[in-house]
Amino acid sequence: MGFFLGQIDSLGRTVLSQVEYTVKVLMMVYLSFRAAVIDQAQGLRTVVSVISAQIYFTGWQAIPLISVLALASGGVVILQATSNLSLLGGTEMIGNLLVVIIVREIGPLMTALVVIARSGTAVASEIGNMRANREIEALEIMGINPLSYIVFPRILGGVISVVCLAFYYVMISILGGYFVTRLIQDIPFSFYTDSLARAIAVEDMFLFILKNVFSGVIIFVVCCYQGLSVKRSPTEVPIVTTQAVVNSIIYVVVFNLIVTAMFYLNQLIKLGVI
Amino acid sequence: MKIRSLKFEGLQFGYPEQDLIFQNVDFDFPTEQMVWVKADAGTGRSTLLQLLAGLQQSDKGKYLINDENVAEMSFEEFLPYRLSIGYGFDFGGLINNKTLLENLTLPLEYHKICTRIQAEDRVKEYFDILGASKFLNQRPSNVPGGTRKLACLVRALITHPQMLLLDDPSVGVGQDTILKYFDLIQKLRKDGFCQHIYVSSYDDKLMGLLEHTEIFIDCGQIYSNVSDGEKKVVHL
Repeated sequence: MGFFLGQIDSLGRTVLSQVEYTVKVLMMVYLSFRAAVIDQAQGLRTVVSVISAQIYFTGWQAIPLISVLALASGGVVILQATSNLSLLGGTEMIGNLLVVIIVREIGPLMTALVVIARSGTAVASEIGNMRANREIEALEIMGINPLSYIVFPRILGGVISVVCLAFYYVMISILGGYFVTRLIQDIPFSFYTDSLARAIAVEDMFLFILKNVFSGVIIFVVCCYQGLSVKRSPTEVPIVTTQAVVNSIIYVVVFNLIVTAMFYLNQLIKLGVI
Repeated sequence: MKIRSLKFEGLQFGYPEQDLIFQNVDFDFPTEQMVWVKADAGTGRSTLLQLLAGLQQSDKGKYLINDENVAEMSFEEFLPYRLSIGYGFDFGGLINNKTLLENLTLPLEYHKICTRIQAEDRVKEYFDILGASKFLNQRPSNVPGGTRKLACLVRALITHPQMLLLDDPSVGVGQDTILKYFDLIQKLRKDGFCQHIYVSSYDDKLMGLLEHTEIFIDCGQIYSNVSDGEKKVVHL
């Protein structure tokens, strides 16, 4: 009985700490957006320069890695799909399969993982080092709100980058993957594009945008928060960076899972199955 | 916003998992002069300056500027006071991805205190006086430690604040340079700026050259000096 109560107590503490963490993170988001709106001194030029730098590092510089991943995963999925669907006599379903796997699932998730690995770590360690080097204090003493100057542009630039990268990933995956597959299997291009055009729907676009926007928000909010949680010592920086990666991956994967589950639940309701 | 008075009322402050640094302090800070903050190492000299700058919030009690409680002000409400306060860090504090020139013009440009050209001219003038202008276009990591410290000190007065807080200003900076820096402060004082100066320092030689009054931190309390040279408890 004592062991059982101990487990419940431990679970309760874990849930409470997660709720507290989420509330603090959401409070930071609110304060950074509020500060960005209220701060009259911070001109558009300042915000745009930080946002464009963020897009350059997160979006543009990630293109080679995203290209390789998209080509490889797209090629594999198309190859497996065509060979298995032709055995089952459902080759015309290739478009549906690609939309389900690449547009709805792999695209947003792989992009998020790449962004966490490249930019999430960079943002968390950069802000952590700024904290340890007292740059955040220096901004405050200069009357510059770190939330509007550091956090807000990184979140906004990060979200734009994630959405653009995911779109690029999907395009390369579907088109590039097709040309990679052409080397092994002969699929007519018109057949392939017709199948894709028939499969893609408005709700796929909605799902794609929803997943990527929120993944971007989660990644950059969590990484900024972890970076700002450094107190003084540079030795805290690698610790918070690791924590930022772990938390970002957990939140992004769980969010993607919940959205997918709700989407299919909605589909089942529409079909009258539930 | 003109700073007329600085007071602690029942102020308590401590860092997490450490002993309290200030306990129930009531103190009316001397203004319109240079004040030397004296204390043993680790007794709260830097913390006192950070509290005065609004970089730290008290755990209990009030820090009043012109009888307004700083703890009750938002970032935006405190901004006019913040722009009237210059703070020279004891270490660190420069933005690493900007050059020294960009670091120093940042507050002037951000708050549109003057144009970019005027801001650059002001920075160059001060760096010329202090003999460090050759490093202006370098990033902090590429310049000697003394120049980094000097840039931090210059940034403290670049906006011509009313109140100047200097944390160990002479550490790492040459004796001649620090004297030139205090000459620059005296010049600004004559022009009506830097009226309230609080210096935390161990440098008896430097402080001996400057006209000042003294306050002491001991056992979590702040004391002011009296004419017979003995410590006097102002409030308990």
